[in-house]
Amino acid sequence: MEGIVFAILAASIATVLSGIGSAKGVGGAAQTAMGVLSEDSSMFGKMLVLTLLPGTQGLYGFIVGFLIMINCGVLGGEIPTLMQGLAYVAASLAIGFGGMISGFAQGKASVAGISMCAKDEGNFSKAMVSITLVEIYALLAFIVSLLMVISIPGIKM
Amino acid sequence: MKAVRIIALREDRKRILEHLQNSSLIEIKHNEVPESGFSRVDTSSQIQKFDRNDQLMTQALKILDKVSPEKKSLLSSFRGKREVEPEDIGSIASDSPKVIGICNKICDLEKQKADYSAERIRIKTMCAQLEPWAGLDIPMNTSDTSSTAVLIGTFPRMLDDVSLSETLAQEEDLVFEYEIIFSGSNLTCAVIYVPKAQKEKAENVLRTIGFTRPLNPTSRTPSEKIKRLRKKDGELEEKISKANESINGYVKYRSMIADTKDYYNIRSDKYKVISELDQSGHTFILYGYVPECDCEKLQQLCERAATCVVEFSEAGDDAPVKLKNNKFAEPAESIVTMYSPPSKEDVDPTPILAFFFYFFFGMMFSDAGYGLVMLIATTAAIKIFKPDKPMRSTLKLFQYCGVATVFWGLVFGSIFGDAPVVYYNLFTGSNLTMADILPWPILDTQKDALTIMILSIGLGLIHILVGMGCKFYVCLKNKRYEEAFFDTGFWMLMLIGFAVLAAGMVTSPVLITVGAAIAIACAVGLILTQGRDKKGIFGKLLGGVGSLYDITSYISDLLSYSRLLALGLTTGVMAQVFNMLSTLMGTNVFGIIFMIVIFIAGHLITIGLNALGSYVHTMRLQYVEMFSKFYDGGGRKFEPFAVNCKNFKIKNSEDM
Repeated sequence: MEGIVFAILAASIATVLSGIGSAKGVGGAAQTAMGVLSEDSSMFGKMLVLTLLPGTQGLYGFIVGFLIMINCGVLGGEIPTLMQGLAYVAASLAIGFGGMISGFAQGKASVAGISMCAKDEGNFSKAMVSITLVEIYALLAFIVSLLMVISIPGIKM
Repeated sequence: MKAVRIIALREDRKRILEHLQNSSLIEIKHNEVPESGFSRVDTSSQIQKFDRNDQLMTQALKILDKVSPEKKSLLSSFRGKREVEPEDIGSIASDSPKVIGICNKICDLEKQKADYSAERIRIKTMCAQLEPWAGLDIPMNTSDTSSTAVLIGTFPRMLDDVSLSETLAQEEDLVFEYEIIFSGSNLTCAVIYVPKAQKEKAENVLRTIGFTRPLNPTSRTPSEKIKRLRKKDGELEEKISKANESINGYVKYRSMIADTKDYYNIRSDKYKVISELDQSGHTFILYGYVPECDCEKLQQLCERAATCVVEFSEAGDDAPVKLKNNKFAEPAESIVTMYSPPSKEDVDPTPILAFFFYFFFGMMFSDAGYGLVMLIATTAAIKIFKPDKPMRSTLKLFQYCGVATVFWGLVFGSIFGDAPVVYYNLFTGSNLTMADILPWPILDTQKDALTIMILSIGLGLIHILVGMGCKFYVCLKNKRYEEAFFDTGFWMLMLIGFAVLAAGMVTSPVLITVGAAIAIACAVGLILTQGRDKKGIFGKLLGGVGSLYDITSYISDLLSYSRLLALGLTTGVMAQVFNMLSTLMGTNVFGIIFMIVIFIAGHLITIGLNALGSYVHTMRLQYVEMFSKFYDGGGRKFEPFAVNCKNFKIKNSEDM
């Protein structure tokens, strides 16, 4: 029965930490984008894309959190044992920290990309691709967390 | 691409250029200096005139937009430009003096408005200055009577009866009378009466406490003056609204002004070309580039227009590139151009890119419902709005992506997430899953995540191998055999070897041996060949062994394809979350309304976020993982001498 407390903790860690990363990343990017838009509002579409790029980390964290809830008895599945609960916490750390710190980094890349795009709209695709280079680390963290979370219910602990 | 030289008579110059501009077949080549015996014509004064007219019209349109903003629907950006007949240009041209007149009037009215507004601000400040004096019942410029001096003025501080009289009393035997009109924290308005004989004395005292006379006193009482100013202000306001009205009256000419603006842009472009022509007394020469398929068309066009000689020759290295692809690949041209158009040595990567772009986009977006929404929306937009070329290509791109999305959605068993079973279960109380209702075996993104990950990396391997295959082909074509077989061939074989080895781990041990053998053979081959540019046996060997380190970059490239799984899963889970949320209020009336609202809003959010993600990440897979294997780019896009209008396009009988 005690396991569920830790499972819920795990869901929170995954969602909140990666959410912090995305919030900071998107926030910084949005500030810069608004500066650009105040000069030239026709660039809204491009700015929106570049601003949203650091937003995916929060989404990955949310998905891991959601899958934990589905597996651990909050939204379905069986109540985990104590060890399984702790295992969820361990699994959520990957996307939690991976998402948070890559969110910070991607936010900075996004800000630079927006400034580059503001100077010359032709740089848009280069900026976009460069910013997604950061994303792979959030993705790897997400996949590790995900594979662990979906296999924990099957492991007897 | 062919280089072309057109020689014709000078008198036909305008006619030929007009035809070329309307047909947009040719890109004009800019030579720095004219051929010997030829000279250039300076057209900068005409161009300046056109640009001035263009600016005037831009300004007039801006003013019109400010006075009565044009109503534009959100979808109007899809709409294609209005088509006009080539003959209509003539009527636009003949109307242009009238339009310039209108624009001048609009700009004048705007200037008047600005003047009136400035006047109103001045009146406002004057009123503010007079306000404290409102209680004064004599004119501000009242001068002395026969025996009494009248001193009207202000002190820059607060004074009351006591402090003022005390100050004045400091001067011995000064006889005075005073009246304080206004007293504020740092301003006091007062009138002081003294005998005429003592005027100088009084002024000296008053000066010590900062007494100043008003700057421009009027011959009326302040309250009357204020009333007059207010009246004038009202008149000005009326004048401004009248000016606005007259500007409003010109709104109906808006599209005419826009047309004329385009017309001047066309002419300005044409004169820019004229200034680059090599001209002699009676002839001129025009250099340019033309796509090979259009050569014949160009020749016919020119010969029909005037007497001229059209010569074609092989294009040099600095020739521009025009991509030509079939219907399936064409929409992806913009993706290639966004990276960089191919140089002369590159193969056109568009067909390969197009296929993988649609395919990977579908796998990441992976929902039959969303794919269908995309397909219907893009098809409808193309049918209803008949958009122009760039917009049409973009819509086409998403149309194909939509088809791929439907395909992968069905493979992953996802139709608006798990919407069909969620609502079926809700109303019937049964407990079905998507796998139960779909007649074919599905890959569940959550349960079979590992399988899909392996599938993703497998597809990535194919993607990379195709990219390397292109490199192999390019090297063979350019007769760089060493590069083809040693640098690319060995790596390709090695990757295949590893793939066989991996497949052997789950099927049969024979494959493991085969795969390992291929991989080891290739590794030996690489060690022997990669150091071939180095000097000395050690240098060669070290270079060869060092090159094996590149395996890390291939591994990281392959791992990068795991995003196919991650984004596919993101779409599926987000859709599932919204489906679940929508059922929270149960099956009563409110519950159903809530369900519909959450369903629509939730899935719109999911579509927006994940379509963006899929687009960006598909693009990255093409640019970073595949293009790095073979594609350099660095070419220049073909930019024909054409009619570049914002407002209309010239109807072309053989339009694309």
